[in-house]
Amino acid sequence: MKGIRILLAAALLAGSAAAAGAQTISYGQAGALLAKSCGKDITKLCPTVNLGGGALKACMDAKISQVSAQCQSDYAMATASIAKRDAAQDAIVQVCGTDAARLCPGMIPQDGNLLSCLLQATNVVSAACNQAITDAGYR
Amino acid sequence: MPSPLIRFALAASLALAGTPVLAQTALNNAQILQGLQGLTDSAPVITAQQMRNLVQQHMAQYPGEALTRPSLALHLDSLPQINVQIQFRLNSAIIDPSSYGTLGSIADALHNPVLHGYKFIVTGNTDVTGTRAINLKLSQARADAVVNALETTFNVSPNRLEAVGLGEEVLLDPKNPTSAINRRVQIFTVGRVGPTPAPVR
Repeated sequence: MKGIRILLAAALLAGSAAAAGAQTISYGQAGALLAKSCGKDITKLCPTVNLGGGALKACMDAKISQVSAQCQSDYAMATASIAKRDAAQDAIVQVCGTDAARLCPGMIPQDGNLLSCLLQATNVVSAACNQAITDAGYR
Repeated sequence: MPSPLIRFALAASLALAGTPVLAQTALNNAQILQGLQGLTDSAPVITAQQMRNLVQQHMAQYPGEALTRPSLALHLDSLPQINVQIQFRLNSAIIDPSSYGTLGSIADALHNPVLHGYKFIVTGNTDVTGTRAINLKLSQARADAVVNALETTFNVSPNRLEAVGLGEEVLLDPKNPTSAINRRVQIFTVGRVGPTPAPVR
């Protein structure tokens, strides 16, 4: 029941976030959330399985009946958050293309200089691009 | 009753009470980003295979007791780099969940546009406790585990990362070879990846 409430809270959060622009959390925060809510279960149920390559998820899924509700919902939330942050970062090139061409023409986009250019021009950058930069966690 | 947003932020936080959640995480990410940026053209060029060869040569050249032999000097001080403590299960390459947040913070830095065009070598290091050959194997497995998690769970492109186990050969504190400080993951920025991007137009 608690798990369902948290999922609802997450859905509400996602809903309101979509309205106000997608709130995303960092990979570090997602990893910390996973550790906090699932650390005990992981150590107990899957002590010889590593995080990478989907192995941990598979192991936890196989023992899902023993996994706490908190972990089940937060594992899903952490995974979704990572995907969302990744998508937000990928989206920048597309969303900010016009702004970049207008405000930073001729720049070789490397070492973060294009982002610096767009950040310096925040006041005249389009709302969509500003939002994409925020969602990507680059501010 | 806190709003769902605030409750979520609290749940996502491992920060100490009273410390702003986002500031705490941002600082860690910023430190990693700071450490890994700024590769210069004059920096030494090193490959994963060269590192492994240096380790093998060092082990062959100094077969003696751990406490009597010198630490291997890689001479990579001029490369951007960070040392991070990742917790593993005892004598195993299983990353302890308590280090998932740190892995994520590394991923945050690697996903930052400042580092987008670069590749990295992730090294595993043990202290001198235990068998030398086993430590070498363990350190490789641990570096592999870190790289695998970054590539899969945290979506860092595989062509940007290589894992190298340095065993007990490269000590951070050679005067205290059994010190826990020597057990660490070290990440070096080693070069650019891919062609130079086209200018913005």
